[in-house]
Amino acid sequence: MNDNKLIHHRFTALAVVLVLALPLALASGSLATELLIYAMAAMACNLLLGYTGLMSFGQGIFFGLGSYASGLLLLHLKVSMGVALLGAIGIGALAAVLVGWFAIRQRGVYFVMLTLAFAQMFYFLAYSMVDITGGDNGLLDIARPNLQLFGLELFSTASPWRYYAFVGVVFIAVFVVMQGVAASKFGRTLLGIRDNEARASAVGYNVKSFKLLAFVISGAVTGLAGGLHAMLTGIAPLSSIEYHVSETILLMTVIGGTGNLFASVIGAAVYVVTADWLASVWPRWMMLLGLLLIAVTLYMQKGVWGLLERVALALRSGKGAEAPVAAAREKEQA
Amino acid sequence: MNVYLLQLVNGIGLGMLYFVLAVGLSIIFGLLRLVNFSHGAFFLLGAYGCFQLVSSGVDFWWTLLLGPLLVGAFAWLVEAFLFRKVYHLPHELHILITVGLALVLQEAVIMYWGPLGNNVAPPDLLQGVVMIGDFVYPKYRLFVIGVGAVMAIALGLILEGTRLGAIVRAGSESAEMVSLLGLNIRRIFTMVFAGGAATAALAGVLAAPIRGVDPFMGVEALGIAFVAVVVGGMGSFAGALVGGLLVGIVQCMMSTIWPQGANLMIYVAMALVLLLRPNGLLGRA
Repeated sequence: MNDNKLIHHRFTALAVVLVLALPLALASGSLATELLIYAMAAMACNLLLGYTGLMSFGQGIFFGLGSYASGLLLLHLKVSMGVALLGAIGIGALAAVLVGWFAIRQRGVYFVMLTLAFAQMFYFLAYSMVDITGGDNGLLDIARPNLQLFGLELFSTASPWRYYAFVGVVFIAVFVVMQGVAASKFGRTLLGIRDNEARASAVGYNVKSFKLLAFVISGAVTGLAGGLHAMLTGIAPLSSIEYHVSETILLMTVIGGTGNLFASVIGAAVYVVTADWLASVWPRWMMLLGLLLIAVTLYMQKGVWGLLERVALALRSGKGAEAPVAAAREKEQA
Repeated sequence: MNVYLLQLVNGIGLGMLYFVLAVGLSIIFGLLRLVNFSHGAFFLLGAYGCFQLVSSGVDFWWTLLLGPLLVGAFAWLVEAFLFRKVYHLPHELHILITVGLALVLQEAVIMYWGPLGNNVAPPDLLQGVVMIGDFVYPKYRLFVIGVGAVMAIALGLILEGTRLGAIVRAGSESAEMVSLLGLNIRRIFTMVFAGGAATAALAGVLAAPIRGVDPFMGVEALGIAFVAVVVGGMGSFAGALVGGLLVGIVQCMMSTIWPQGANLMIYVAMALVLLLRPNGLLGRA
């Protein structure tokens, strides 16, 4: 137990280090912010994929709805930052209840297909509700509010790096909460369901409600990410709810690896940074992404995290570390 | 003339197209237990194959044959060199590999033909409309209904009446048992996969003159194929027909009532069916 806690804190420390180090590594504050935002979305996806065994092609629903919700709140009601983000979280959770209720009644591949069908449904919903979402044009000119308390300005988010600092704090908070969820009794029950659903059910767990709750947590966090993204770019375009967003979030999660939550952060980082670099070199870089996905699936099922772990182990065994460490790590992974 | 009647007939035409699109997905899943997320990309390749051949002077009629053949041959290679290696892996990994393949194919299409859409003209023989009394209907759509019907009957006969069909149906129950009986199930897997891809390509060729071609039609088609098989019941040949028709009819009816929401209503209809019958209309529990 103590050991678990230690690993727990170690991951949190890694997350903090990442937030502090990104400004040194990246020239653009927007890019660094985008990285953290997608890292949150990928963690939420990992809670489903890695911890519950649910592959969701519908994460874009929550991301897009979060974008629209915070955009609408800011445009029409001029609300504060906190309210806008709460709106994004709320709508993400609500949509997850709805989609989850339908999708979780189905298992395995049916679940996967349903999440994709629902992703399409919400895309067309956003497309057809022109009065609310702006249809093809999306929502434009969303102003980013500063942080205020009782009308008193606490922190300006006007510059990219200032906004990054705010998102960094949110990111660490989300990371700690998600770690807590994963390590809690609830999180370990999810692992039990992932490994053997029939057994979990036979022992007396209400499998469906556990899955639904995981889905709702995932939807809420993804909605938050979407809301933050709308404030980053100042727009909530129709493309924020496209299938492509769902695909991207899932890709990041898979590339990072599903063994722990920090792996998703790495997955998002790898994706966002390479995408930024490749997109300027070769507009069809997504093709490489497709190939990478095939390669990861075939040869590197633990993702980039698994690769890093292997490298670390190789380095350590070179220095004569004992096998038990590796075994403990393997256990942690499973 | 009653506009709803016209839209019903339109819906049947579109539904037959969706059947051709979805049936391969359903049969591939039934036998191989593979959820093929690259099915939409095979549809896309078929449509662009048609566009390329027609615009370089090949007769449309030939594309009906060449499109599915070329895509089927490509799928044959993909199955033999990629998917054959992964059947033992969990479903989730199959899905990821097919998603990766779909991404590669879509980007390849954009790279070669550009990101913008193009139109494909139907052949001269099928341009214009048919008039039966005061009933007016585009010839080309009538042709699509015909092709869909021929496909449905042919596939039905193959599945129910031939030795190959019997093996496919038996394989859907237990592939292991079939291979223990001394049949080369691997060969049949490859054939069914290539055949399924070819039907998706045929749907793509048929769709090209109706809706034109664009690189993102693959994703759209994948969503519709999923709805058709989820509504009809996965792995069931008749389910794909019923699901396809239902989707087509709903889409066409709604395009009169609420044009902007026609696509949305497809998915609402799916949710309603699932509410009443969680395993689809013809699905087994």
